Amino acid sequence: MEKEIQYVKNGKRLDGRGLEDLRKLKIEAGVISKADGSCYLEWGQNKVFASVYGPREALPKHIQNPYKALVDYQYRMATFSVPDRKNPKPGRREIEIGKVSGEALEKAIFLERFPNTTIDVYVEILDSNAGTRVAALTAASVALADAGIPMRDMVSAVGVGKAGGEIILDLNKDEEDAPDAVDIPIAILPRTEEVVLLQMDGLLTKEEWKKAFKLGVKGCKQVFEMQKEALRKKYLEAEKETAETENIEMMGD
Amino acid sequence: MKKKIVIPGELVSEERKKVGQHVFVENGKIFSDSLGLTYADSDFASVVPLHGKYLPQREDLIVGIVAQETFGGYLVDINSFYFSFVSKEFIRERLQKGSIISAKILSVNEINEAELGNVRVFYGGEIVSISPVKVPRVIGKNASMMEALKKGTASNILVGRNGRIWAKGGDIPLLLKAIKKIEEESHLSNLTKKIEHFLEEQKKEN
Repeated sequence: MEKEIQYVKNGKRLDGRGLEDLRKLKIEAGVISKADGSCYLEWGQNKVFASVYGPREALPKHIQNPYKALVDYQYRMATFSVPDRKNPKPGRREIEIGKVSGEALEKAIFLERFPNTTIDVYVEILDSNAGTRVAALTAASVALADAGIPMRDMVSAVGVGKAGGEIILDLNKDEEDAPDAVDIPIAILPRTEEVVLLQMDGLLTKEEWKKAFKLGVKGCKQVFEMQKEALRKKYLEAEKETAETENIEMMGD
Repeated sequence: MKKKIVIPGELVSEERKKVGQHVFVENGKIFSDSLGLTYADSDFASVVPLHGKYLPQREDLIVGIVAQETFGGYLVDINSFYFSFVSKEFIRERLQKGSIISAKILSVNEINEAELGNVRVFYGGEIVSISPVKVPRVIGKNASMMEALKKGTASNILVGRNGRIWAKGGDIPLLLKAIKKIEEESHLSNLTKKIEHFLEEQKKEN
């Protein structure tokens, strides 16, 4: 019999994180010049590119909706993003993730302002280690803001779950493979705390669920702060630079 | 003036203010709907976006490119979601695919289709494309930036609200450089002075 893995030991997890710690998260907006909006995100080992094109006229014409815009969310995993080569053909899983994530973004966008149009969101996963759908959704939301598409709020997402009998935030692949693992991707609109994506895989008791959900919302808010920072960063830096040069010029005069 | 960078869904004002552009009201509070700049001490609660597409608005002056000729008129690409139609009735000369025109938007319907009027045809010149949200900076307060560009490069310039600039004559390469600089630094203050300075320096170098 295999040796049993201890997922939580003295309040520390396998990779040394605490129970309520996120993996290292890095977000950068505006990385693809040809796209209307884009974002590169690294979340632990996950590496994600998101790009947004549009709104543009929806074609063929019969898919147009004269009352609102469509959101075409394409979630794709690169062939080299998983240990064994992945077939590049979009499978059942990718189509489902595209559907639910697109619907999550629809809740945030002012779609009614762009009738008969479509907003294309393409997300490519370059490297994965559990929680790619929340990473993709987080990146897509930053890319949408970078494209200047009017939104009610950002969309922030995080995974919560259970491994080794403890409720933990932001599971990695090892924890997701635990025998008692439960994985819950949550996406919220941080301002109103409205839930826009919620899936669950595994079994929880009522108390555990309440705890997990609370932790998820807390995690989403942490992610939101990072998104905010990433969007502002470019402009704050430029502003600071010019302020400095102006000071120097004034001193020179 | 106190400037602040806001992201979608961020609070712009809790006070009752006149509601300007790119904001929305929820439970009596005013929130931003896009990534942009807001001025805290303004009477208007509004956001100037940093990115975005062109949405046609009434009275806008736009620069269009003829995309297709039909029996009774032309379909003009105005950098929006749809082509606009211009009847041959209003144009004396015969246009071709690629001809440049300027026009005023007479009306916009509920699906953002624009009806054009006051059509003028341009011969020669070049088209520079910029982000439509940055057009106000290229024009400047009381067209101060336009004046600076015209003076600095001796070009004829027409700035369309849809993010297309038509220019002819003068120092076009310098104009392109200046416009690129404006686009890159559009969120910073004192831009007109900087551009004036930049144009003078570039002139000295040549």
